[in-house]
Amino acid sequence: MVDALAIIYLTLGTAFLLGLLRDEWRILAYGITLLSLAMVSGIASTWVWHLADNPAESVEIMTAGASPPFAINLRMGLAEAAALMLATLTGLASTIFLKDTLLRLGRRAMAVLLVFIMAICGIILTRDIFNLFVFFELVVIATAGLVLLSHNERSLGAGFKYLMASQVVSILLLVGIIFNYHVSGSLNIDDMAGMSDMLIQTTPLAFFLLFIALIVELKPFPANGWALDIYESAHPAFSAILSAAAGTASLFAVDKVLAIGGDSWLPVATGIGVLSFIGANLFALAQTSDRRLLGYSSVAQIGLILAIIGQRDILGDSYWLIAGGVLLAHAVGKAGLFWLSGLIAERELTAWTALRDRPLLLFAFISFIALLIGLPPFPGFYAKWELIHLLAGADRIALIVLILFGALLETAYLFRWFGLILKHDEVAEKAPCPIQKVVVIYSAVVAAWSLAYLWGELSVFGNLMHAIPLLFALLFLPLEGLPARIKNVLAIGGLVTWFILQYPLYDPLQLIFGAIILPGGALILLASFHNQGRRIGFYPAALWMFAGLSMLIVAEDSFTFFAAWESLTIGSYFLILRGKHSQPHAQSYILFSLGGAFLMLLGFALASAGNPLFPLESLTTVAEDVAPWVFILLALGMMTKTAAIGVHIWLPGAHAEAETDVSPLLSGILLKAGLFGLFILLIYMGRQQLYGIDLTHVLLWVGAISALLGNLMAIYQEDAKRLLAYSSIAQMGYALFGLALMNHLGWLMALMFVVNHYIYKSMLFLSVGGVAKRTGTKEMYRMGGLITLMPLSFIAVLIGIIAVSGVPPLSGFGGRWIFYNAIMSAEYRLPMVIIFLAGPIAFLYLFRLIHTIFLGQLKDEHRKLKEAPFWIILPQMIYVACLMVFALAPGLALRHVDAYIDNFFPRNGLNWEGLTITSTYGYWSPVSIMIVVGVIFATLFAWLVFVNRRAQKVKQFNIVFAAERPYRPETTHFAWNFFAPYRKALGFMTQPLVTRFWATVAESLHTSAELFRRLYTGDGQTYAIQLLGFVVAVYLLSSGVFYGV
Amino acid sequence: MEHIALATGFLLILIGLYGALTQRDILRMIVAFTIANTGVNLVLVAVGYIRGRSAPIINDNLPAAEATARMIDPLPQALVLTAIVIGVGITALMLAYAYKLYILRGSLDISKIKELKW
Repeated sequence: MVDALAIIYLTLGTAFLLGLLRDEWRILAYGITLLSLAMVSGIASTWVWHLADNPAESVEIMTAGASPPFAINLRMGLAEAAALMLATLTGLASTIFLKDTLLRLGRRAMAVLLVFIMAICGIILTRDIFNLFVFFELVVIATAGLVLLSHNERSLGAGFKYLMASQVVSILLLVGIIFNYHVSGSLNIDDMAGMSDMLIQTTPLAFFLLFIALIVELKPFPANGWALDIYESAHPAFSAILSAAAGTASLFAVDKVLAIGGDSWLPVATGIGVLSFIGANLFALAQTSDRRLLGYSSVAQIGLILAIIGQRDILGDSYWLIAGGVLLAHAVGKAGLFWLSGLIAERELTAWTALRDRPLLLFAFISFIALLIGLPPFPGFYAKWELIHLLAGADRIALIVLILFGALLETAYLFRWFGLILKHDEVAEKAPCPIQKVVVIYSAVVAAWSLAYLWGELSVFGNLMHAIPLLFALLFLPLEGLPARIKNVLAIGGLVTWFILQYPLYDPLQLIFGAIILPGGALILLASFHNQGRRIGFYPAALWMFAGLSMLIVAEDSFTFFAAWESLTIGSYFLILRGKHSQPHAQSYILFSLGGAFLMLLGFALASAGNPLFPLESLTTVAEDVAPWVFILLALGMMTKTAAIGVHIWLPGAHAEAETDVSPLLSGILLKAGLFGLFILLIYMGRQQLYGIDLTHVLLWVGAISALLGNLMAIYQEDAKRLLAYSSIAQMGYALFGLALMNHLGWLMALMFVVNHYIYKSMLFLSVGGVAKRTGTKEMYRMGGLITLMPLSFIAVLIGIIAVSGVPPLSGFGGRWIFYNAIMSAEYRLPMVIIFLAGPIAFLYLFRLIHTIFLGQLKDEHRKLKEAPFWIILPQMIYVACLMVFALAPGLALRHVDAYIDNFFPRNGLNWEGLTITSTYGYWSPVSIMIVVGVIFATLFAWLVFVNRRAQKVKQFNIVFAAERPYRPETTHFAWNFFAPYRKALGFMTQPLVTRFWATVAESLHTSAELFRRLYTGDGQTYAIQLLGFVVAVYLLSSGVFYGV
Repeated sequence: MEHIALATGFLLILIGLYGALTQRDILRMIVAFTIANTGVNLVLVAVGYIRGRSAPIINDNLPAAEATARMIDPLPQALVLTAIVIGVGITALMLAYAYKLYILRGSLDISKIKELKW
């Protein structure tokens, strides 16, 4: 192995060598700089390789021919080697990125850059406390020098503020060092750690000074105004090193001195870390400048890692995997984003719209923010999972809640940023993209995905990058250049093939959901053949969602379940965001979904009592005192997906604004993920009681109210797709109600709803979408009289609403019939009344779809419309056929499910003999009902034709028109505000209270961020005072630790 | 004696910090930081001092064999030397910044450098 010290002397030697060159030989100087950085990166990498295979062979490096404490020693272990590799590679990449700047500034700047990298490596390697100080001061000097690389004149002020803060830090550090030395007689960290008890007891203040000085080097919130100014004004390539490499080094330093402080100081580190994580993420919400936002995000991430360091007493063997996972994810993600910001001309977040037409850079951006947030399959995901479990095992629930809250804030601003890039009205001008910069960014993307693979390999949960469905989705990334139709064929083929392969493995419940997801998804994708062009971004997102869904239904342990859940959430987010006006809805979707996912994470962690490998079936044996809480957390998480009332506000916009073929995917398929989760939850956990309240009873109420209010809100909609979306809330309420009945028929009905809702909602969204495509509007009062122009769409809608409303003869009636049987045997009367009430309300809005869109007066501008496109009609006709078959022979699917539910509720099943279905309360004969209804219909129709035989045909304009077209024509349209009287009577029930509640939450977070960030006045002296105030505050708050109180 | 040095050192640190945090003029702030640094160096030396022993220079008067018993701890002095060198470096850098700031703005008032904030 190459001597690890070579990393120090190669960089330092090159820096001195550059001083000997002539100033004009810039290209040579640049070449030497690159070469030396490449060499040290190579050395660090070979060490990582070597130590990964032989972890026991970590090396102590002695210097000056003496052993410590008489000389400085350094240590090269696996963690150090990995950090060195990170630091040197980041340095190399930034040097490549900085090519033009460095060539302009000459060899001196290159030398300072080398010294900077050397000092960072020194901090990582050294085990000597004074040596640590020296390297920190070198970092300060190099930082102050490199800040001047920026063109930005404001960076001058930032650099001076930074120097002021550094002076204060170095005073604290030196005084701390000398007193620690005085007591211990050594400068060696390991010697001092050996005397930890004595040191802490005799001079706690000395250790405190040392500790706090290194903590301040992490730029903790709120003592970090100077650091934010640096991030904002420095050259992005330098900020990348500062955030990724220098941040890593500072964390190493804190980790080292905490060995001296012992476990009693860990809570202090955790406290500061969590405060930073939440505070900085909160302030980042209000940022509009990209680099300052990244600065806040850096502070937050480093705070999170500090909190993890503070928890190392309970993390055990997983410590390095967790801390390392979050750290590397932060480093690569943040460096990548800083580099990316170097390709953006302006500093407003909206300027990033310049990335919109560059799919590869956009993919880089997505990879980086996914890395930061810790979405699957990136390392942060595994780390987060394990961290939360270990914390739950140690009963540190408050900390979990704080961490997850901070993570949600982070999600909010990072995804809002992404939404802005795709959907902001104005597209910023593109800046030039020199090849070397782009190469650096792509290598960060490669690093990101390699880390994802590596962490998958290291984790005990199995590698998500080996999951075939996810790989299939990733396969579409390189295929993005192909025409959409070819990709569509591939996607449909993939879904169907996967279903055929998996079919033998499914149990009946999985089969129902699997059939809806895979062949059902393929059926909806038929409509996608309508799309021309390449449709970039659609297929990876859609298949990522399908991958998550298909993994969800076969998940056997909580990790796979959660990974699948997050995957389907992300995939569907990208799908939702594709709609023209979708940004705010996609944003609230991702927040609710990830918030729900975090609740689930906490629920699983509590359930397993900290065991990260937890089979789902063990949910049956959860300890009694936590079981109801686990139930609540998991149920809440799943209900964010089914959009139960209270967490439903994302759904109407998300479903209504989505593209024509995306709406059915979301409504018909995605909503079922939540139902599947609730099935699993109820199968394993059954009834739970909290303070004497039966929680399934609460679910019953939630279901009933969702059904009632969903339907009530639907009747007031003018937008046809919104109407359908609100109707979905109600329908999911029915299904939830059925599940919560906790009896045989209730569950059967819920499953019936799963199938029925998939068929008719997909069909209705497609037909309404097809109509909207032709008419150019989704508002019903702008349409009318389309029956003759779009007869097939009309038939689909007609069949659809008959099925939804649950009148004979279609399958909706079967659902109702089972439903009425189910509630006959349940003892809850009041929610039952509510759900009965909800039924007729559905008629009020459903008939409007026919009445307003297809009947009435044809609009002038619609006279030449054609039927909806073939590919949108085709799946609808297949659905019509399905509905007919399902209506005549529901037993085909349901009898197997019925038999399966016997496993859980053996009593009160249905009898499926022959064509008649019999329950305790009566029977249902689909075929005879079909015949009866058919005969009645035919008779009435014939009679109508007979009595109308002499009626006079009236042309459309054979009526009286007003003289003038009013200013707002919709106010005179009969279908506009159709149910105004009901709104008067029942409007109080549909006040947007929930929307207002969530809006207030978001508003108050933003307002407080806006208000409190004024703390950073911009004045360097204020910053220094804040720094000292922070030190004093930590001292006072942690004095309990000092004196063992 | 060493207590006086120690106290003086801390006093200088406090004076320096007070000056750095209250003076608006960048040059005065730099001077104040230098004073604080001097204080730190004094503290370092004072901590290493042991009453009644000689300087850590091994020569005829202090043979190597007796050194550990008769000389004061040399390490803090070595540290102080390093700290002084680093202090000079940082002071020089701050002065360079002051110069560039003055060229750019024609003023040395720290309270006017506020365009980066929030």
